[in-house]
Amino acid sequence: MPATDIAIIGWSQTPSVERSALTEVQLCLKANLAAVAAAGIDRHDIGFTCAGSCDYLTGGPFAFVANLDAAGAWPPISESHVEMDGAWALYEAWVRLQHGDIDLALVFGSGKSSPSNPTELYPQQLDPYYLEPLGLDPDSIAALQARALLDSGKATERAFAEVAARSRRSAKSNPNAQLSGDTDADTLLAGGYVRAPLRSHDLPVYSDGAAAIVLATADRARQLVEHPVFIRGIAHRIEVHQPGSRDLTTSPSTTGAARAAGHNGQAIDVAELSAAYTPQELILRESLGLDDKVTVNPSGGPLTANPVMATGLVRIIEAAQRVADGSAHRALAHATNGQGLQHNLVCILEGEQ
Amino acid sequence: MSDTTSTKVEPVMMDHMVSLTYVEDLPPNTVRFAEALVEGRILGQRCPVCARVFIPPKDYCPLDVVELTPDNDVEVADTGVVTNFTIVAPVRYYGQTKTEPFVYASVLLDGASGTLGGQDVSGIPADKVHAGLRVRAAWKPQSERSAEGQSARGWGSVAGCISSFEPTGEPDAPREAYEEHTI
Repeated sequence: MPATDIAIIGWSQTPSVERSALTEVQLCLKANLAAVAAAGIDRHDIGFTCAGSCDYLTGGPFAFVANLDAAGAWPPISESHVEMDGAWALYEAWVRLQHGDIDLALVFGSGKSSPSNPTELYPQQLDPYYLEPLGLDPDSIAALQARALLDSGKATERAFAEVAARSRRSAKSNPNAQLSGDTDADTLLAGGYVRAPLRSHDLPVYSDGAAAIVLATADRARQLVEHPVFIRGIAHRIEVHQPGSRDLTTSPSTTGAARAAGHNGQAIDVAELSAAYTPQELILRESLGLDDKVTVNPSGGPLTANPVMATGLVRIIEAAQRVADGSAHRALAHATNGQGLQHNLVCILEGEQ
Repeated sequence: MSDTTSTKVEPVMMDHMVSLTYVEDLPPNTVRFAEALVEGRILGQRCPVCARVFIPPKDYCPLDVVELTPDNDVEVADTGVVTNFTIVAPVRYYGQTKTEPFVYASVLLDGASGTLGGQDVSGIPADKVHAGLRVRAAWKPQSERSAEGQSARGWGSVAGCISSFEPTGEPDAPREAYEEHTI
């Protein structure tokens, strides 16, 4: 059954910063208030609210419940939460809107990474018998992925550095980016390895931040805003949890999600990819069949702004922004969960036909 | 394998302790609350929409979903009324430092819209504590006050500056004064 058209009608993100003094709920509130204002709606008209976050980042038990303050949960509202990137919260809201009995939904994602230590924390998402006791951190998994990609002959360390240099240059025009600047591959390659074959420029920043999106059914969207951004397709696919059981040089779940979202090789103007590590951009480009004509991560991407648990939702915002301002006709946004691109979501966005 | 006939395999046991470290900054609202408390003042924050006074300040109103600022801060009294209580008879679980029964009371400060939970009530036998009892904060000496208990997780605590609440000797507050604040 073809899906009902759902549109993005308002969005907001807080600037990605290395350390915010604000609590996660205060960050969410800023994003939610601005997104609701941008959509021009009364929050009481929202029929469903969904959030994505992870309590482990701040170490606050049930922090996701406290975050509901940012949505206004009294009188009681219909809401849900995913322990996933906010892009999956958007997916759940999109599914909820397919029921047809409500016409507005609020989605938000938030992450405050500064209180915790990623090297200590992230192994907790691995299996508790083999990998977690090793303390296998995300940088190490990404290095194994990078090594596999180099060994396959599909990439070079220079290609990694070129991704980083381009991302930092692109981020210069992104007021929400944490890292930006003019640099080139030669300069970056002069740096030492952090986890061979990865250098510091191949690794993401970690940011504190929140993002929010307001969704509307097509008719309601046209009433409310001049340039609704339509979700033409959205889907996600997952691979096995154990990274050693996968070919890390490719991402079949991304390919599958893109196909399920209706992407069959049509021209894409802009792709915002949740490639937190430089090799992952190369893997995703190939898995999505993106050629050099596609502008990838014009925002600078997660290498320059990475509010974990909102990074994927920010990709959708950045892609929607470019459709709304007319710089892209058709845009693709990608989000990921898990380790080494285990679980991937693809969203195709277009303006009014 | 030296013994290929044995089918019994001893299980391999592994101890694995997990420890996660968090280093957090206090948000601005909690910093203001803690600083005032050390000075002997209890800071709240009044929402201009609903007029509720939150203690400690949150820098937003969760009911009206609006941001609040230091301009919305208000000082509330250190006197109030016990709205509910329990008597805890401590069992010696790990970490329990108390040995004698103690009071765990909710106190609605004068001028506040919500209670402070988990407050000790001293200067009165535990079996005389009751809802409606008028109380006043027993402040620690200035030199012993600290930011103990303040955290970015949750909304702050008075434990670093107020040791307990004591009866004021006033007549009990009427039921209507606290019946909406049972916890």
